[in-house]
Amino acid sequence: MIENRPWLTVCSHLVLLLGVFIVALPVWVALVASTHPSSAFGSGSIPMWFGDQALANWQQALVGKEGQASDLLRMTVNSLIMALGITFGKILISLLSAYAIVFFRFPFRSAAFWVIFFTLMLPVEVRIVPTYEVVANLDLLNSYTGLTLPLIASATATFLFRQCFMSIPGELVEAARIDGAGPIRFFFDILLPLSRTNIAALFVILFIYGWNQYLWPLIVTTDDAYYTLVMSVKRMLSVSDGDIAWNQVMVSTLLAMIPPVLVVIGMQKLFVKGLVETEK
Amino acid sequence: MSDLVLQNIGKTYSNGYQAIPSIDLTIEEGEFIVLVGPSGCGKSTLLRMVAGLEGISQGELLIKGDQVNNKEPADRDIAMVFQNYALYPHMTVYDNMAYGLKNRGVAKAEIATKVSAVAQMLGLEELLTRRPKQLSGGQRQRVAMGRAMVRDPKVFLFDEPLSNLDAKLRVQMRVEIRELQRKLGTTTLYVTHDQVEAMTLADRLVVLNKGHAEQIGTPMELYLRPASTFVAEFIGSPSMNLIPSRVEQGKLQLSVDIQLDCPHVSAQSVMFGIRPEHVDISPLDQADVPFIVKAVEALGAETLVHGVLQLGDGNTPAFIVRVAGHHHFEGGETLGLTLPSQAWHLFDAQTTKRIEA
Repeated sequence: MIENRPWLTVCSHLVLLLGVFIVALPVWVALVASTHPSSAFGSGSIPMWFGDQALANWQQALVGKEGQASDLLRMTVNSLIMALGITFGKILISLLSAYAIVFFRFPFRSAAFWVIFFTLMLPVEVRIVPTYEVVANLDLLNSYTGLTLPLIASATATFLFRQCFMSIPGELVEAARIDGAGPIRFFFDILLPLSRTNIAALFVILFIYGWNQYLWPLIVTTDDAYYTLVMSVKRMLSVSDGDIAWNQVMVSTLLAMIPPVLVVIGMQKLFVKGLVETEK
Repeated sequence: MSDLVLQNIGKTYSNGYQAIPSIDLTIEEGEFIVLVGPSGCGKSTLLRMVAGLEGISQGELLIKGDQVNNKEPADRDIAMVFQNYALYPHMTVYDNMAYGLKNRGVAKAEIATKVSAVAQMLGLEELLTRRPKQLSGGQRQRVAMGRAMVRDPKVFLFDEPLSNLDAKLRVQMRVEIRELQRKLGTTTLYVTHDQVEAMTLADRLVVLNKGHAEQIGTPMELYLRPASTFVAEFIGSPSMNLIPSRVEQGKLQLSVDIQLDCPHVSAQSVMFGIRPEHVDISPLDQADVPFIVKAVEALGAETLVHGVLQLGDGNTPAFIVRVAGHHHFEGGETLGLTLPSQAWHLFDAQTTKRIEA
């Protein structure tokens, strides 16, 4: 819609600015708070401008202070392992299941698809007790496998890949058959390159999904060697004695925000292409 | 030895629909066979059965004497050109042409020689590093043909390869395909719904109607001696005039003025056919039958006159006359037509089959 009315332009800019303000303010507060000494929060007011303790706070968070080493880095690594494990696992499983559903004729093919589709209604939160039971029985508590495996099955990604594969023209599949490409060759030579952008888009979405997991890691990990960054933020808030170290909390929060932001920025172009592109 | 033999080939789908009841066809080495027919006549199905993309329900398919009914498309030694070209969009022209060879384990150096030879033949040398997206329709068509040619298969299969091109390019590619096929001498099966394409390309034509072959023959055989009213109407443009008439006492009752002795005809009702280009316009008093002009299509090189015949029995069947050059006729004008007897075709109205004179 192209219109030239000044008040309309002003109005829409105001709405947009308001949106940016609402989204950006907490980030700003976190950023500012991470530069103050922990004593600055005792009064109950929130500082709105930078303090002078930025370096010290970040140093304490990342390196640790006086003898006790920081576990923030280890948690970041844990988070990364979990997020990447979930992402790659989901993409791999969904690629394979969508491939089977779209290109192979087998009995109960559409039933299989609908069963997968049905699991959209069963996210981890819904099935958390039975899933915990299974993972506990398999002796997977406090392990990376236990953190990632139950989250890997993905109806959404399977569905997306199914749509993507179905848009590949039948003639192309037949041409590959005549060119002597068997199922595995076809998958690697034709299908994967053609769904490259979709894979990238899903990577972004799924990485953020995996990174932001809170409830599941909270339940399956009791050993702090497997704690993830996101759950640790909450843990830092529930100290039994003394004041909450808000400056440290904010450093962890910021740290927890960086990887998803990097992924989004790095893959932005492919991400948009993957969701918009129709050309095959 | 015959190159490609279809013996009693038939296709019945799992839902019981019989797409092709039974077809017999023997194709000699190097022959260019065109399967032609209206949409839904089973011509593409038949081609896909030869390619191995559709299963064969009955009969035998032999390529160079080997029964290939149950062989995978890749093992039949055929190459196919698709209507939408089906080029791999993420590969360069070179990779598109090389892919089939690569999968067959041909050595890299050999692939390079073969691809560049074919590229040279098709004028694609400059385009080898481009992707299909960066090519025009005609260039994509060439690449699709190149992909088929590098494999040097026993049989080429074309599935309406020109229908996505504009009219001018279509004529140009038609000539090119014919020349290439002659040069390579590869047996070719070509599907089209365009009868001009069919006539100009084919050594022999197979006219398909509802899954069975109405007639198999050279283009001129089909034009001069169509075996049924279906072929008569399908081959030639504008199509043959067909007028229902009766035979009484061994005479064709078309009108009071023209009568043909046809003692051999046992059928009571027949279809009388004559091609629009075989009709002559003559003065009314010397004419066989009067004709009332309804509409005129002046094409410069020829003039098509649409109208109705005024038959003695009061019937006014629609009729088309094709006259060479430019003429001026008024709508409503009455012209005299002579229908030379050597250009007549007679068909049994019940069976629609040709009645031989």
